[in-house]
Amino acid sequence: MTGRGAEPAFAARAAAALGDRHLQEALGIATTKFIGLRRESFAGFPEGDVLRDRARAIKEATLQRLDEHLGRLADRVEERGGHVHWAATADEAREIILRLCRDRGVRMAVKSKSMATEEIELNEALEGAGVTPVETDLGEYIIQLAHEKPSHIIAPAIHKTKGQVAALISEVARARLDADAEVLTAAARGLLREKFLEADLGITGANFAVAETGTVVLVTNEGNGRMVTSLPRVHVALMGIDKVIPSLSDLVVFLAILARSATGQKLSVYTTLVRGPRAAGELDGPDEFHLVLMDNGRSRQIAGPLREALYCLRCGACLNVCPVYRQIGGHAYGHTYPGPIGILLTAMLRGTHAVRDLAHASSLCGACKDVCPVRIDIPRMLVELREQVDREGAAPRGERMAFRVGGLLLRSPAAWRALARAGRWVQRPFVERGRLKRLPLVLGRWTASRDLPPVAARTFRERWKELRRS
Amino acid sequence: MTPRDAFLARIGAEVRRARPAGPATPAPRPARPAEAAEAIRRQMAERWPAAVRRFEEEFGRVAGVFHRVRRREEVAGVILGIARAQGTRDLVAWSADAIGVALEAELAAAGLGLTVAGPDDAEGRRRHREAAARAGVGVTGADIVLAETGTLVLVSGAGRPRATSLLPPTHVAVFDPSQVVESLEQVGVLLEALHAGASGPASITFVTGPSRTADIELTLTRGVHGPREVHAVLVEEP
Repeated sequence: MTGRGAEPAFAARAAAALGDRHLQEALGIATTKFIGLRRESFAGFPEGDVLRDRARAIKEATLQRLDEHLGRLADRVEERGGHVHWAATADEAREIILRLCRDRGVRMAVKSKSMATEEIELNEALEGAGVTPVETDLGEYIIQLAHEKPSHIIAPAIHKTKGQVAALISEVARARLDADAEVLTAAARGLLREKFLEADLGITGANFAVAETGTVVLVTNEGNGRMVTSLPRVHVALMGIDKVIPSLSDLVVFLAILARSATGQKLSVYTTLVRGPRAAGELDGPDEFHLVLMDNGRSRQIAGPLREALYCLRCGACLNVCPVYRQIGGHAYGHTYPGPIGILLTAMLRGTHAVRDLAHASSLCGACKDVCPVRIDIPRMLVELREQVDREGAAPRGERMAFRVGGLLLRSPAAWRALARAGRWVQRPFVERGRLKRLPLVLGRWTASRDLPPVAARTFRERWKELRRS
Repeated sequence: MTPRDAFLARIGAEVRRARPAGPATPAPRPARPAEAAEAIRRQMAERWPAAVRRFEEEFGRVAGVFHRVRRREEVAGVILGIARAQGTRDLVAWSADAIGVALEAELAAAGLGLTVAGPDDAEGRRRHREAAARAGVGVTGADIVLAETGTLVLVSGAGRPRATSLLPPTHVAVFDPSQVVESLEQVGVLLEALHAGASGPASITFVTGPSRTADIELTLTRGVHGPREVHAVLVEEP
């Protein structure tokens, strides 16, 4: 989906989301809950602000030597008997993983939740190659059964009701299960336990990768990440190059703020550190370990306008507080990564043309920047992105014309005064109970969903003059 | 040029072209990790009672169950109680060395079956996996016990399989005061020390309470893939 075709699609998706009462309710409950949990968690954690600054400085320091850190990470993984693969694009990443499966005769692969694998649409590729991918994070499992996509970075199935989940899991379990979270979770545990024990290969992402030690770090609550890295014969981890950090001393700084930002927990239930395959003497852990390092558009932004977006930890905090995300949910964004940071990541991975419409799906209120654990200045980059979209001529002609005329009016005090005076007369037929509720022509698109305050009877300048006189 | 060289050269070129954006400082690392770790252990030798109180509070907050015994000999009794409450006869455990207690004789006397992690040949691996998949309780040690978050840190290795704390529905971790620390920052130092040189384990797991999910309508549910119950047993006088 590129260029002009994208805009009506986004508007239509957003409109559909706004009209979906169930989605509205689910989004409201989920995002409000996450906001409260995060706020409580940081309220009792005075050192949080200092740690956020430190985490940000670590990310910046890492970017300034990214090539060295990636080289060291690869060396350490190989020293531990692991294999490292280099994927410049999503296609290459997919091809590497498919080849690993093909060469080993893999029929079924278990996956723990990974946005990187969503980014490259790995499941579709695996299915096409005759490998059955099984998502094992409960939320991801549910949406896989429903043939849908995640709607939230850390809570992928928040848009599903327990009734819908019961129907989905009942079908797999060949039994009628009650629409009860306990019952459904227990059923999924049983179904997925078999898969963990049978699978030939486990696929994960990485929350972090520690260059100094060759360690891949996975943060989960359910324990599926541990299953996937402990039980199958082969473990493949796919990570974006932005996930590398220098040392274990850096890791603990991030751990202290990641779960707090995401779910309000001090730490998630499981933080799993893995380095290469099973060591001598160990009874479990994989025989083979593969790390796939993926660029896919990221390196272009090291010296680009979206550099700061490379700091992102994928905690999801900016989604929960975003007034746009809270209204339309993740699917309406139409890409892997939703929410304010998702717009930037989409631009990074797919190019500016992919966010021609999305760049405007923000009120620029700044709530995202306030909650970001590494204080990414998302609003600034969104504004720059809008500018770039405009420069590339992606904005409609009418819009460009309107801004040009608006710019002229704003620069000329005389024209502005004249406009205010004229506005008072012109608006008369449209003022209803002190508001502009229905404007004609193209302006009607604004008043279709919200009112405008009318031009005031006296402008500020006029009042100022009077005040000075008295 | 190998794929690696080409990949890193492209990134290197961007790195050199980029302008820095704000403060850039990695976290300070201990110059001599082993000594820094030793200093923490010495501090904690004095401060552990307060840290244990904090651990107990935080561990309870994440739905962990805390037990305290005076001597090693009392650990088997606690585990027996947990197994009975679970109605299970099958247990798996790390090696006696790795836990610091031999449990086999006492549990056998009570009519329970305990499979202890043994040698890592193909037969040993198969036996371990089957036993762990069947067991109702898995018993491990804890290499670091982190008070401020109520976290048990488990290091993998010979006699310390990963599945012991993962597959059984109940996990019991045994520790003594020498393993207790106060902060994540201290854990960072201990991890650095553990990886000094080219050493270090293939896997380390931080466990903060029982496995949980809130993926169905945000209803908190325990025991989705990992254990539904986690117990920590402090042995005060090792």
